[in-house]
Amino acid sequence: MKILLIEDEAELRKSIKQYLHQEGYLVESAADFIKASEKAGVYDYDCILVDITLPKGSGLDIIKQLKESNSKAGVIIISAKNSSGDKIKGLDLGADDYLAKPFDLAELNSRIKALIRRRNFDGSKAIVVNEITITPDERQVKVNSDSVNLTAKEYDLLLFFIANKNRVVSKNAIAEHLWGDDSDQMDSHDFIYVHLRNLRKN
Amino acid sequence: MKLLNKTIRYYALISLPLLILAGLISYMLIKAELRDGTDESLEREFTKAKGLVHSNTIGQTYYLSPDSLSYIEPLTNQRFVPGYTDTLIYDKIEQEDVSFRKFVNQYSFNGKPYYITVLKTTIEEDELLEGILSTFFIVVGLLAVAFFVSNWLLSKSMWKPFYETLNELNRYEIKNHEEHNFPKSGTLEFNQLNETLNKLIGKIHQDYILQKEFTENASHELQTPIAVLKANVNLLMQSPYLKEQEMGQLQSMDNTLKKISSLNKALLLLAKIENNQFKEVEQINFSEVITKTIDNVEEVAQAKGLKITSVIEPNVNLKMNTTLCEVIVSNLLQNAMRHNKDKGEIQIKLSTAGLIVSNSGEPLSIKPEDLYVRFTKNDSSKESIGLGLAIVKGIADLYNFNIRYSFDSSMHHFELKFN
Repeated sequence: MKILLIEDEAELRKSIKQYLHQEGYLVESAADFIKASEKAGVYDYDCILVDITLPKGSGLDIIKQLKESNSKAGVIIISAKNSSGDKIKGLDLGADDYLAKPFDLAELNSRIKALIRRRNFDGSKAIVVNEITITPDERQVKVNSDSVNLTAKEYDLLLFFIANKNRVVSKNAIAEHLWGDDSDQMDSHDFIYVHLRNLRKN
Repeated sequence: MKLLNKTIRYYALISLPLLILAGLISYMLIKAELRDGTDESLEREFTKAKGLVHSNTIGQTYYLSPDSLSYIEPLTNQRFVPGYTDTLIYDKIEQEDVSFRKFVNQYSFNGKPYYITVLKTTIEEDELLEGILSTFFIVVGLLAVAFFVSNWLLSKSMWKPFYETLNELNRYEIKNHEEHNFPKSGTLEFNQLNETLNKLIGKIHQDYILQKEFTENASHELQTPIAVLKANVNLLMQSPYLKEQEMGQLQSMDNTLKKISSLNKALLLLAKIENNQFKEVEQINFSEVITKTIDNVEEVAQAKGLKITSVIEPNVNLKMNTTLCEVIVSNLLQNAMRHNKDKGEIQIKLSTAGLIVSNSGEPLSIKPEDLYVRFTKNDSSKESIGLGLAIVKGIADLYNFNIRYSFDSSMHHFELKFN
C-alpha cells in the first residue's frame, strides 16, 4: 500500500510518516505544492493525504488535478483550516474524507483503512480478524459464524480497534472517534468502558 | 431635559421676572403721572371754589355747580384732615361705588373760615391706565411668544446636525461599521465634532478588527503545533519500552492536548462567529437537528445517570447556518449535562416560539449576566473551558435570538426565543 503525504509542516510530516510506516504502509511525502503535484502526477498511490494550505499552492488544486487524471487514489484532506466551506469544497472536488488538525494518529489510521477498504473492494469484502468476521456493507459481525448483535457505537468501536490492532490507542482518540466534536465536552470516559465491557462480553 | 427646552427654560426664567418688573415700574410711573394730572385739575377746581367764596355768601353746603359733587361749607367744629385722599362714592345712577380723588382744605375769607372739598372721578384715569398697561402686556407678550418661537425654530434648525450625529452614534454598531455616516453641516463645530467622532470610531473599529483577526490567526496558527505535539505523543505511546507510569504521563499529556485543542477550536469558532464567517444560511429543520443531537448525547447522558425528557414540536423551521445550528443546540445540551447533578434531569422543549433547555443543578455561584462572558465558570465544573455559553450567545446575537436564563425549584432554564 502506497501513501502520499502532502504536508508542509516538517515535524508533523515526520510523525505521520513514522506512524504509518509502522502500520506497514509505504509512505512518500511532499512538502509543497509543486513537489506534491509532480508526485501525484507521476506515481500511483492508494491513498493521498493532503493539506489544503501549502506553500506555492492549494491542496484543493491537487485534488482537482488527481480527479482530472482519473486517479484511483483515495484522498483524505488533513487541514488546520477547520472550515465547513473548505470541507464542502474539498469533498465536492472528489476528496473522500476530511480530517481537521489536530487529529489523533489512530483516527487517521482508521480513516485510511476504511478508505482503502472502500476503494479496493467496494466495501463488499469481509474483514477477518482471528475468529471475528465483519461485513462492513451490512454492518454485520460474526464470531465463529455466530451472528453478534452490536449497537452502532459498539460496532464503530470494534472497527476502530481492528483498524488499530496492536496499537496503543488513547481514550481521547476513542471518544473522539465515537462522538466526534461532542466528545470535546465530556468530562469522564467511563462510558467508553461501558461499551468496551459490552463488546468483550459478546 | 432636551437642550432646546433647556435654553427656552432659561430664557423664560430670566425674561419673565424682568417682564413683570418692567410692568410694575411702568404701572407705577404711569399712575403717578396720571395722579399728578388729576391733582392739578383738583387744585384748579379749588381755586375756582375760592373765587366762589369771594362772590357768594355761603351759609350752608354750597355745590360748585348743579351736577358737581364738589362743595363749600362754612367751617363749624367739624374736624377734618386737609390734603388729597382716594375715596369711593356711591353712584345712584350706575348703582355702584365709583372711585374718586378728593382734596379737602380750609379757606378763610373776610375772617370767616370755609371748608372746601373738591372731588374728581378717576374712572378715566383708571381706564387710561388699564388701556396703557394692557397694550403694554399684549405687545410684550406677543414679542415674547415671537421670540420663543423663533428662538426654538432657530435652535432646532441649528442643532439639527447635532441630533443627526447623535442618532447616527446611537445606531452605530461596530459590526456594521461601514454603514455609519455623519451628516455634513454648515456649522464648523459640528463638522469638527463629526470629524473627531469619525477618527475615534475608525480607531476603535480598527482595533476591533485587529483583535478579532488576532484571535482567529492565533487560534489558527496554534492548530499545527498542537497537531505536531499530539502526533508525537501518539507515536511515543506506541513504544514497547514504556513503563506504566510513563504511559500515564503520556495519557495526561494527551488529555491536556485535547483540552488545549478544544479550547483553541472553541476560540476559533467564537472568532469566526464574531467575524461573521458563517454566511451561508439555509432553511433548517430545527426539530430534526435537536432530535439528532439528543440521540447523540443520550448515551453519554445515560452513562452519567441523567434523564432526558423532551417535547419537540415537529418541523420548526429556521433560516440559519447549519454548522451554527448544530453548535448552538449541542452547546446548550452539553451545558445542561455538565452542570447537572447526580441522577439529575434535562428537559428540552421546542416550539415555534423558541427552545427551552432546563437542567437540574445547584444554584449559580456567579452572576447570571456573567454566564455568557468568556472563561467565566461556575467553579464546580473544573472541566469546563468556559466558552460554551459564550458561543451560544454569539450565535444567538448573530440571528437576533433572545436568550434568557432563569432558575427556579432547583432547575436552570435557558430559553432561546426565535424572532
